[in-house]
Amino acid sequence: MGPEHGRTDAAGAAALSQGASTLVLQGIAHSFGGLQVLRKVDIEVPAGRLVGLIGPNGSGKTTCFNIASGFLRQNAGRVLLDDQDISASSVQARSRAGLVRTFQAPKVFDQMTVLENLMVGAHKSTRTGMLGAMLGTRGARAEQAATRELAERCAQRFGIDALLPTRAGLLPAGQRRIVELARACMGRPRVLLLDEPSSGLNSEEIEVLRRWIRELNRDGLTVFLVSHDMGLMTVCDTVHVLYFGEVIASGSLADVQADARVREAYLGI
Amino acid sequence: MTNRNPGRTPLVVTMLVLLALWVLLPLGLSRHHVDLLNFAAILGIGGLGVGLLLGQCGIVNLGQAAFFGIGAYASAWCTTTLGWPASAAMATGAVISAAIAAVIGYPILRLSGFFLALATLAVGSIASVLFFEWDWLTGGTLGIGGVPKLSLLGWTLDTPERFYYFVWPVLALALWLAQNLVGGRPGLAMRAMRDAAPAAEVMAVDMHRLKTQMFVLCAVLGSLAGSLYSHYVSFVSVQSFTVERSIFFLLVPVIAGAHSVPGIVAGALFVALIPELLSGLGDFHQVVFGLLLVTVVTLMPGGLMGLLGTLRGQGGRR
Repeated sequence: MGPEHGRTDAAGAAALSQGASTLVLQGIAHSFGGLQVLRKVDIEVPAGRLVGLIGPNGSGKTTCFNIASGFLRQNAGRVLLDDQDISASSVQARSRAGLVRTFQAPKVFDQMTVLENLMVGAHKSTRTGMLGAMLGTRGARAEQAATRELAERCAQRFGIDALLPTRAGLLPAGQRRIVELARACMGRPRVLLLDEPSSGLNSEEIEVLRRWIRELNRDGLTVFLVSHDMGLMTVCDTVHVLYFGEVIASGSLADVQADARVREAYLGI
Repeated sequence: MTNRNPGRTPLVVTMLVLLALWVLLPLGLSRHHVDLLNFAAILGIGGLGVGLLLGQCGIVNLGQAAFFGIGAYASAWCTTTLGWPASAAMATGAVISAAIAAVIGYPILRLSGFFLALATLAVGSIASVLFFEWDWLTGGTLGIGGVPKLSLLGWTLDTPERFYYFVWPVLALALWLAQNLVGGRPGLAMRAMRDAAPAAEVMAVDMHRLKTQMFVLCAVLGSLAGSLYSHYVSFVSVQSFTVERSIFFLLVPVIAGAHSVPGIVAGALFVALIPELLSGLGDFHQVVFGLLLVTVVTLMPGGLMGLLGTLRGQGGRR
């Protein structure tokens, strides 16, 4: 199911990507009640780059991600996508602008097939409304057929075409993660936010995932990756280390691993 | 060329058998039983709306009797007092129901789970009280009588048999439209929302809008069922639009298996026919019906269609 097994021709890549964007978190601060979770966090995820965010449990990584994707509104600071302030935008609006995320526990649509999961991924680029769908108009049928074809092509590319008729809820964790990734790509993201993508996966599955992340980034996608898995972070160009709501180090993985504050705070040595 | 739908031939055969059954059934049944089938079809139309909300969106609607009542009163009042044609009265009921559902649905559909179910129950209860209090419009407990029978191309649907040949195709049309909806883009979005709401949001599904649209559609189906009921029985009164009626509408998809659109027929037949068939047991028939309901819900969480699917699966494995 790794990238080398799927189709990686230009047509397939073009269908799943529409270019890269730059995501900037500027002076983000947030608190839950009296607990300050993030303090003036500044992170830039440049277009086409692979940026990681690491930190121990409770350091504010997921809060940071929830703010970037619109599930949470920050108390202070701004979220910029290609210099546009999207701080007040809904999750849906951010998704339409090209910002798509995955979840720590893969959220596939359990009772739907893998094919249907992927087709939902194309929701924002399709238009059929209630009436058109009910009447089964020619336009609705044509759009449905095109979405289905794109989903099948996407599944081929990710090497999950054999799973298309399977109910997603029946899949093991590794395959659910790939389905979630493929579904995110169906929406032609410009920035992909991956929240702890290796959680619950075995080492073999993590290796497959790592290859996919690299492959998608090579296709031109901007990737922002949150994880506490140092091994997975080796794919990143730049890594930011979050500790008690503050970025304490930024740079290449080797640089941050050598940083004395990081070693003390994160690695405990 | 590959056959994308290998199950099509059995489907066509099933449809032909059902069509033959539909044509021939009234010939072998008493007028009373045809009457029951007509009520089943009306229940099916109203229950379909509730089923779409329940099975596709995960929303429990306990207020469908409100829209059933609006449709029934609109048809009764507009035809008897204003002398409007039935089609215009029916359309008026549907428009009023849709407007009320949109206005009520917009705020309450921000709720979820039990809170939303209770809010819909409140809608049904308030409507029931208003139907009773506004007797200048609804006739209160005296109701409105003399609602004209429907006419189709000069053919008056004044017997259960004639109405049967009209109302079941209406249900079939509603099921076909609903099946298209569920299989189309909005249906995929609805099921995505039901299975994992945050992921559906990330896919840019506008959940609140979709829920409101579905609530409106459910209300329109309820109103249509009410209009048909009003013309069929020629009399409407508050007793027909109580919370108990809403529960019957909800039972239709629950018994059928909420995810199945065609299953609505099985659910409607069960809810309309079983109590009547059990009535020979005298006073105990409601207790037995209650026990049957508990049995179905407990032993068949996927409803009758779920059981059918399981049996098919076992047949396949053999």
